[in-house]
Amino acid sequence: MATASPSVFLLMVNGQVESAQFPEYDDLYCKYCFVYGQDWAPTAGLEEGISQITSKSQDVRQALVWNFPIDVTFKSTNPYGWPQIVLSVYGPDMFGNDVVRGYGAVHVPFSPGRHKRTIPMFVPESTSKLQKFTSWFMGRRPEYTDPKVVAQGEGREDENAEAEIPRSTWVSLCPSPAWLMLPFCPQ
Amino acid sequence: MNPREEKVKIITEEFIENDEDADMGRQNKNSKVRRQPRKKQPPTAVPKEMVSEKSHLGNPQEPVQEEPKTRLLSMTVRRGPRSLPPIPSTSRTGFAEFSMRGRMREKLQAARSKAESALLQEIPTPRPRRLRSPSKKELETEFGTEPGKEVERTQQEVDSQSYSRVKFHDSARKIKPKPQDEEELLNGDDAEDLLLGLDHVADDFVAVRPADYESIHDRLQIEREMLFIPSRQTVPTYKKLPENVQPRFLEDEGLYTGVRPEVARTNQNIMENRLLMQDPERRWFGDDGRILALPNPIKPFPSRPPVLTQEQSIKAELETLYKKAVKYVHSSQHVIRSGDPPGNFQLDIDISGLIFTHHPCFSREHVLAAKLAQLYDQYLARHQRNKAKFLTDKLQALRNAVQTGLDPEKPHQSLDTIQKTINEYKSEIRQTRKFRDAEQEKDRTLLKTIIKVWKEMKSLREFQRFTNTPLKLVLRKEKADQKADEEAYEAEIQAEISELLEEHTEEYAQKMEEYRTSLHQWKARRKAQRAKKKKRKQAAEEHPGDEIAEPYPEEDLVKPSPPEPTDRAVIEQEVRERAAQSRRRPWEPTLVPELSLAGSVTPNDQCPRAEVWRREDVKKRSVYLKVLFNNKEVSRTVSRPLGADFRVHFGQIFNLQIVNWPESLTLQVYETIGHSNPTLLAEVFLPIPETTVVTGRAPTEEVEFSSNQHVTLDHEGVGSGVPFSFEADGSNQLTLMTSGKVSHSVAWAIGENGIPLIPPLSQQNIGFRSALKKADAISSIGTSGLTDMKKLAKWAAESKLDPNDPNNAPLMQLISVATSGESYVPDFFRLEQLQQEFNFVSDQELNRSKRFRLLHLRSQEVPEFRNYKQVPVYDREIMEKVFQDYEKRLRDRNVIETKEHIDTHRAIVAKYLQQVRESVINRFLIAKQYFLLADMIVEEEVPNISILGLSLFKLAEQKRPLRPRRKGRKKVTAQNLSDGDIKLLVNIVRAYDIPVRKPAVSKFQQLSRSSRMFSEKHAASPSTYSPTHNADYPLGQVLVRPFVEVSFQRTVCHTTTAEGPNPSWNEELELPFRAPNGDYSTASLQSVKDVVFINIFDEVLHEVLEDDRERGSGIHTRIERHWLGCVKIPFSTIYFQARIDGTFKIDIPPVLLGYSKEQNMILERGFDSVRSLSEGSYITLFITIEPQLVPGESIREKMSNMLKKFESQEDEKLLQATEKFQAECALKFPNRQCLTTVIDISGKTVFITRYLKPLNPPQELLNVYPNNLQATAELVARYVSLIPFLPDTVSFGGICDLWSTSDQFLDLLAGDEEEHAVLLCNYFLSLGKKAWLLMGNAIPEGPTAYVLTWEQGRYLIWNPCSGHFYGQFDTFCPLKNVGCLIGPDNIWFNIQRYDSPLRINFDVTRPKLWKSFFSRSLPYPGLSSVQPEELIYQRSDKAAAAELQDRIEKILKEKIMDWRPRHLTRWNRYCTSTLRHFLPLLEKSQGEDVEDDHRAELLKQLGDYRFSGFPLHMPYSEVKPLIDAVYSTGVHNIDVPNVEFALAVYIHPYPKNVLSVWIYVASLIRNR
Repeated sequence: MATASPSVFLLMVNGQVESAQFPEYDDLYCKYCFVYGQDWAPTAGLEEGISQITSKSQDVRQALVWNFPIDVTFKSTNPYGWPQIVLSVYGPDMFGNDVVRGYGAVHVPFSPGRHKRTIPMFVPESTSKLQKFTSWFMGRRPEYTDPKVVAQGEGREDENAEAEIPRSTWVSLCPSPAWLMLPFCPQ
Repeated sequence: MNPREEKVKIITEEFIENDEDADMGRQNKNSKVRRQPRKKQPPTAVPKEMVSEKSHLGNPQEPVQEEPKTRLLSMTVRRGPRSLPPIPSTSRTGFAEFSMRGRMREKLQAARSKAESALLQEIPTPRPRRLRSPSKKELETEFGTEPGKEVERTQQEVDSQSYSRVKFHDSARKIKPKPQDEEELLNGDDAEDLLLGLDHVADDFVAVRPADYESIHDRLQIEREMLFIPSRQTVPTYKKLPENVQPRFLEDEGLYTGVRPEVARTNQNIMENRLLMQDPERRWFGDDGRILALPNPIKPFPSRPPVLTQEQSIKAELETLYKKAVKYVHSSQHVIRSGDPPGNFQLDIDISGLIFTHHPCFSREHVLAAKLAQLYDQYLARHQRNKAKFLTDKLQALRNAVQTGLDPEKPHQSLDTIQKTINEYKSEIRQTRKFRDAEQEKDRTLLKTIIKVWKEMKSLREFQRFTNTPLKLVLRKEKADQKADEEAYEAEIQAEISELLEEHTEEYAQKMEEYRTSLHQWKARRKAQRAKKKKRKQAAEEHPGDEIAEPYPEEDLVKPSPPEPTDRAVIEQEVRERAAQSRRRPWEPTLVPELSLAGSVTPNDQCPRAEVWRREDVKKRSVYLKVLFNNKEVSRTVSRPLGADFRVHFGQIFNLQIVNWPESLTLQVYETIGHSNPTLLAEVFLPIPETTVVTGRAPTEEVEFSSNQHVTLDHEGVGSGVPFSFEADGSNQLTLMTSGKVSHSVAWAIGENGIPLIPPLSQQNIGFRSALKKADAISSIGTSGLTDMKKLAKWAAESKLDPNDPNNAPLMQLISVATSGESYVPDFFRLEQLQQEFNFVSDQELNRSKRFRLLHLRSQEVPEFRNYKQVPVYDREIMEKVFQDYEKRLRDRNVIETKEHIDTHRAIVAKYLQQVRESVINRFLIAKQYFLLADMIVEEEVPNISILGLSLFKLAEQKRPLRPRRKGRKKVTAQNLSDGDIKLLVNIVRAYDIPVRKPAVSKFQQLSRSSRMFSEKHAASPSTYSPTHNADYPLGQVLVRPFVEVSFQRTVCHTTTAEGPNPSWNEELELPFRAPNGDYSTASLQSVKDVVFINIFDEVLHEVLEDDRERGSGIHTRIERHWLGCVKIPFSTIYFQARIDGTFKIDIPPVLLGYSKEQNMILERGFDSVRSLSEGSYITLFITIEPQLVPGESIREKMSNMLKKFESQEDEKLLQATEKFQAECALKFPNRQCLTTVIDISGKTVFITRYLKPLNPPQELLNVYPNNLQATAELVARYVSLIPFLPDTVSFGGICDLWSTSDQFLDLLAGDEEEHAVLLCNYFLSLGKKAWLLMGNAIPEGPTAYVLTWEQGRYLIWNPCSGHFYGQFDTFCPLKNVGCLIGPDNIWFNIQRYDSPLRINFDVTRPKLWKSFFSRSLPYPGLSSVQPEELIYQRSDKAAAAELQDRIEKILKEKIMDWRPRHLTRWNRYCTSTLRHFLPLLEKSQGEDVEDDHRAELLKQLGDYRFSGFPLHMPYSEVKPLIDAVYSTGVHNIDVPNVEFALAVYIHPYPKNVLSVWIYVASLIRNR
């Protein structure tokens, strides 16, 4: 019996990327994806998503509201490698190139219920002033080879010097993961 | 989902059955009505609700009055005519619900009217009672199932409602017998609601089940029930302590308790409450009723050094001192190498002098003098310590203490403690007294002996009438005040007596007590016995037999005798006697002996002859000392004559610079008599000083020695080991041995800057001593000699240390170690002492857990588990077989697998290589995880001027240039690839000089057979090269029809067939590439061992028509293909080169039956002289991978950079020079290979010229052509090429290029180009040639190493892996460019404009063409070689080779049969044996010039067979390459029904187990 269906527990996450504060930028969209450990596997829902482009609200808050839903279910055998949601925000620069405006990651909350998370966003900085200029000029800002690295520890030692947390830009994410932990008990 | 739901369903069904039951229906409605509002109410409303409920209970009418407050408009409407008691509701039901509500209302009304009367009559049905049974929880679930339902809440029947309420309150009470607070009441209500809810479900909604939902406060409620939240109230102490125990405060009792860590009071309370609840055993609480706690481990102040804010200040405050790392090897494995710096540790040995306490030349007087001196020394030592005095004082003090302690005026402590201390004091007094008495007695006897010896000496001097020694003893009398003295004496005696008396009385009292009790016992027992006796007597009368069996125990009962009281007089007597014995009597003066050397020695002329001789003898003698370090003599003192007083003064200090850990330090005392050889008198073992002892602090110590030599002398000297006597009659004999003392001091030296030059403790010396050294307390006491542990322990026990005080902790630990026996000495220290406390499961259990093991292995990245996904949750779900592979591999690690390798030596080597590989990989695992910035972040390069300029220039470029440039392809990183994405493109352009068919007949053979081998179709087609007009080919047929077949990873592609010996195909073949295990990571791709085989075949058409008559009407031909040769290119080369473009020599077997090249040559010579110079056939290829993969170069670079920093024995200056040199070279010619340092097999950086050194080739090879140097050189090259080739990138996973020395290479029997080249170069050097290692690029190897030699006016380039050599101007030389040349003493970098060997000058003496590493500014320092002095070759084992030969033959035959599963494979034995005879010939001639003979031979023997076959030759490494080679020839593909095969293997062993393998495969078809 056990061999037929190995015991797993399920983690259901649903929520939404609500809004962001990027005072300097407008017309942004965001992508999300999940980073999880070896023992985790998505069973239902979307692992990745790309949102619509949103404009700043006209009020004082100047929030970029996406209200972009997230709904995914994982199964796992091991809490190690608990899923993290990785968000990356993109938007056009002066010349219309899509450039990255921020990366951020947060663990999916550990306890069930409604949670609201505010994630500080950051972008890697150019290694030199000249490069900063050229990258601005050419519309090719430094970016991560894979946004998932922001949720990983490997190889980040060097980069700390370069990747600074520049602006007070925040994305507030509200995943309300009603998660079910069901140690599966086959009869 | 869960059982709850099911139950609920069952219940529901029940209700469905009883649908008509109006009563139930009504109840249900009620419930719904009531439930609905409650749910909507926030939790705070509960109390209010309770009130209302109660009112319901009390007076059903009451709610009516409340109602208006809460009810909404809709409700009033609905209430209609009936004045029903509405629910206490705060409903916000909207109008939208009306329609539904209306329907409901109708239904309900109908039901109600039907049931109304029934309810009034009916007593409650048993059903609700039944319903009580489901537990509360279940009900709640059900409760939660209908969140969205809006139900009417109008009609209510007062009666039913009140009735039901009463009932359910009852039920609620039953469930919860003691409702205590609101929550529980609420629960009750819920239960009630639910019950009713059930009915409702039954009534209205049977099938629809909305999703489960637990509201947050239900959840809270559940949690509240499940969870225990400890209170924050202080727990009264009595709860925490065992009953009837008063709290005890250790601190108040003066014991050290330590400072408890600070914890907030509330937290503490919570913890206590929790512990009481959870674990009521109370082990958690101490005697004082508080939770047990260790003292606060946190230091009061942080120990981190202050953080310096500015960088400058760091530099200012820290002095950095560069020191080259010195490898410390301890003696067991130490080899002092010439390159090593001298040891930095220094031991200073100061030998100040030597005194003989006995010497053969001692006269009798000397013997006595020595004795006297010794005694006097003893006396002085004792006097200095004056223990007797100290003890007397102590005694006095103790007595005083007892006196004061008994003083009643003293402030009251508890009587108990006073008594206790007094008792202790008393016992101490007793002991002290005993010690003092002993000491005093010793003093006295010592004094007596001194006087006695002195007297003897005096008498001896008188007797012999001369004095030999200046010794003189003076006894000084010190008069004391006799009266005071006497008084003190008396007082002392009195005190002693009184003490003794006291003691005795105590003892007496004790004994009395004992006596009494025993007497009592005795009496009682006697009584009992008497009674028993009586009884027994009676019994005996009855059973007289029993009596004997049970003897009376009466004999045991001895009446105890009372102890005797002590008599004062007796004691006094005793004390006085003892005092008289041991103590100076008061009337005696104190005697103080003084020894001086004031006496005069009788001069020689006044002495008797014997004595003069003795003195002469002494003068002749001299003594010196040897210093032995680790049993090796390191130095010796000067020889000093022995003085008349038998003292020798050296005063020498030896500084030993040591490399090895000192194991022993010995002084040997040598004595020389006259001019004879020195004799070893004795050995003195000096202790090696503690590491704390440094020069200047070491005290001078004396070490005694003695020798067991026997010396008899013919003069006055007493000799040694010989009995002699002082008495005239010879009685009272004495035997003395030569002995003496060396005064010395040994200490560690102090370096220039005050650093003691002490070696670190080596492993072997970390024993008992160093373990104890960790205990700080000992060193704080200042004893360096931790020798007497027992004493220390005793002392510690006596000194009554507070064991709780952390300051004493090391000492206490030490004591516990010492007392528990010396066998247990921890030679470790614990990093996490508290780890054990935190272990939640024992280690064994943890290890037994399969899941843990799996996780552990995965995190260790064990290959089998590296990508293991979804480790199961439970152990039972983990299959045993998961581990099987891994365990098998572990087991096999040490088992040498002979199946694959056949040859044991090679198997061992393979294992060894595997291990080296593993260790190397492990070493660089960390580095692998090290990412560069570029790996993480994509960033555009800054365009510099040149790029900008180029791009500007590009604008002006022609749109379609005449000579287009190749554009760089986009490189693909390896991660996101999958099977089928990568293709290998092989473009086969053309070939030159393919062997052509010979007419299968020699001129003297029958011509008829040749007619079979032809192709009519092509005979007419005039090929450009086809020499139709050649006289030799009268038939005018095509010479050869070659096509190329490329096989890679068992995929085979072939080109179309071309014609002629110089065909041109120009075809592109596409082969898919699959990475091993679908792993496309760089590391995995680098280790791909697959080889691209490019085989050239000749397509032969055979006519199968047997009958000439049908020739006119049809053609039946069979296509046969004959293998001509092959080119092998390893995938790794393609991968690293990205593309391979060039002309390669085709590997053609030395004998190709039926084909010849001569014909060809004759033909070609006419128009292409360059080509004809070269022998062999060539093929032009272009190979690449699509898409282009990024080779793992970056990782390799990183590795080598890291490696360089790793370790090096090279001089720092040299390393800097190499870096500079390389940088300069790279600046000028970035594409040329420049190599100065390489990494040896142990991972150290080694300067490259150290690898080059003349090394002897095997003598066997030299003997073959003793006079022909060139032939010998070729033979040697062939020998080197026979050593199998194994690229480092494959063996070390692309990590680094390791260079092994030639002996390692020969032992491993595998290596890549560098090793081959180094060995070949070394051989050439030893043959006396001028030879260099040539680093450059070649096709197809890429960056590689060749050997360049200078012979007779021309340069030869040798390919070490194939053994071929090329002239400098050979177009077909695979070497394409030259980076640098390396000789045994210099490196030359090519700074010429061109780097092709054709166009450069190899004259390294011209500095304009070659930049040399060592020059006038940096002369060659004379680096020693890393190569061995000489290579030793074992003769190869002929028998083993023969055995291997048989086995390979058998394996290959089996393989061929396997490859032909559908056909019968026949072996022609006759042919096989012929071939077998032929192979050794081939080996001898190295595959040349035997073809014709062989052909003739074969034809003679196999006259009526059509024969096609060829010998293959290769070095032997494993069986698999052999099989592959045979497979690639495609001999087995013949499917003519009557084909026969022949296969012969010959292995020629060369020295060092280098094997040359020849395989002859052939297929035979019988001609009819």
